[in-house]
Amino acid sequence: MATHEEIRDSLRAFQEGYNKNKKLKIMNRDWNRVVLIEANDVESKHTLILKDGELTVCEGATDNPDIIVTADSETLADLFYGDITPTEPYMNGTLIIKGSEDDIVRLDFISLMIWGE
Amino acid sequence: MVKLKKILTLRTIIATSAGLTLSSSTFVAAVQVAGFLVGDAAWLAILTGGLLCMTAALCFSELNGMIPSAAGIRLYFNHAFNDRLALTVSLLYMAVIMGVIGAESYILAEILHEAFPLISPLAWILVMFTVVTGMNIVGIRIAGWFQDAITYGLMVTLISLAVIGLAKIDFQLSAPLATGGAVNLLNAVAVGVFLFVGFEWVTPLAEEVTHSRLISRGMLLAIGILSVVYAVFTVAMTATVPRESLVNSPIPQMLFAQTILGDTGTAIMVMLTLAASITTFNAGLIGISRFVYASAREHVLPSIFSKISLRFFTPWVAVLSIFVIGVLISLLTLFSHRYLVLVNMAAAMESVIYVLAGLAVIVLRKKMPDAQRPYRIRGGYIIPAASALIFSLLALAIFTTFPRVFLYLGLGMLLSYWYVTRVVPRLKQLQRQKRASGRRRRRPVAHAEKQGD
Repeated sequence: MATHEEIRDSLRAFQEGYNKNKKLKIMNRDWNRVVLIEANDVESKHTLILKDGELTVCEGATDNPDIIVTADSETLADLFYGDITPTEPYMNGTLIIKGSEDDIVRLDFISLMIWGE
Repeated sequence: MVKLKKILTLRTIIATSAGLTLSSSTFVAAVQVAGFLVGDAAWLAILTGGLLCMTAALCFSELNGMIPSAAGIRLYFNHAFNDRLALTVSLLYMAVIMGVIGAESYILAEILHEAFPLISPLAWILVMFTVVTGMNIVGIRIAGWFQDAITYGLMVTLISLAVIGLAKIDFQLSAPLATGGAVNLLNAVAVGVFLFVGFEWVTPLAEEVTHSRLISRGMLLAIGILSVVYAVFTVAMTATVPRESLVNSPIPQMLFAQTILGDTGTAIMVMLTLAASITTFNAGLIGISRFVYASAREHVLPSIFSKISLRFFTPWVAVLSIFVIGVLISLLTLFSHRYLVLVNMAAAMESVIYVLAGLAVIVLRKKMPDAQRPYRIRGGYIIPAASALIFSLLALAIFTTFPRVFLYLGLGMLLSYWYVTRVVPRLKQLQRQKRASGRRRRRPVAHAEKQGD
């Protein structure tokens, strides 16, 4: 089981990877979304805000997200550190993502571009 | 409480479920249904088919409520049985859907060739595939309102044309229950299931609605409305055009429209079929390309299929591969004229999927009795068991009537199983070796590239 701090650190690693990728920033400049990341085994909620191509990570939840990502803490940490692809836990039901299909696919594309295959 | 910003309405759920089902090839299946029966009993077979599909829809509703995911059958069967079976069936299902797209493009090309005889069907096939592939690569999606307008408009027009046709010949239902025997009726119902193929493709939208009940209601309403539309339209077609002409034509709806309204009828039908096919075609390509992309991300297919366009954010290798395979299937259909094999294969495959869905409901109730089920089928195991049993019989009826279908699907299943048990483990092992770096120490690709790694 990962801790809230580990999830936060993994999100920061994800944010760092995102911010270093200029192409990704350009590609996402019109994709403004609020993503809620929540663990279902520990008390841990974070909000990712994508606005004008910039990604910020905030502690805590938001009321009206575009996408909700829910998984156990270990999966979330692995996912945002890039140790696993989102598709694997998604296909076995460990990772639950709520939102439009297009947004879910876009999120996966971003992960692919940050961490590779 | 946290709530998503975007939510879909029941109207769009019905339109999506019915819209994915309504296509050019459904009319071919409708006259095949009538062809099995001696009297005007096509309506009976179609309504029965619809009713049976509703039992499957109830099973999908329970599964979808329990596991709301765009991964659909892959996830349901994974939880209920095992990943190997789920993957084997999903790969084969996608291959069969590719076949349906091939049949669909062939039929649509025939329709357009009928309307514009100077342009060959081959040219139409290439144009259609190129347009839809282009839309997929650029990432153009058919908007919800457009899907609503096309689906509801199409259903109203089909009913109107049927009423006009029936009124013109002063139709009297003379033999509404004359089926020609139980075997004929069974075969007609089995092929009639194809008329509803794809209603469950709406389940991936589970992540975009407020409550999974909307999906189940939408599926049931779509099947109900479609049953009535198909029943009335098929009776009108068989009452106004000689049955032999309809059964031997890949474009029976055009013959019907031409018979009742002449050139105006032809023009209306061309427009309708084009609109219906494009939405089905586009949705099919999107669905399959995403499946291929997701499979590559999961290391089930070679990683080349997970390449994405940096300009449009779309899985271009997956889309282009499907373009090539789709065109090949269409060309094979164009030269062999064996579109009915594809239609029957889809009907049989769909029956197999419904059998597994019924069994999955039963298995999951035993395996995960305490799991949350926002929708639970009433009456215990009766409906899921009946659904599994009925669709087993229907699949059997198709296999015995069309042994070639059994042969092709059997070979497909073996090939898919071989791939899942032999090739997939190797692909996964290769990926594990590539990804040997320790947890929490990986660096972003951009960073690693800068470092010269």
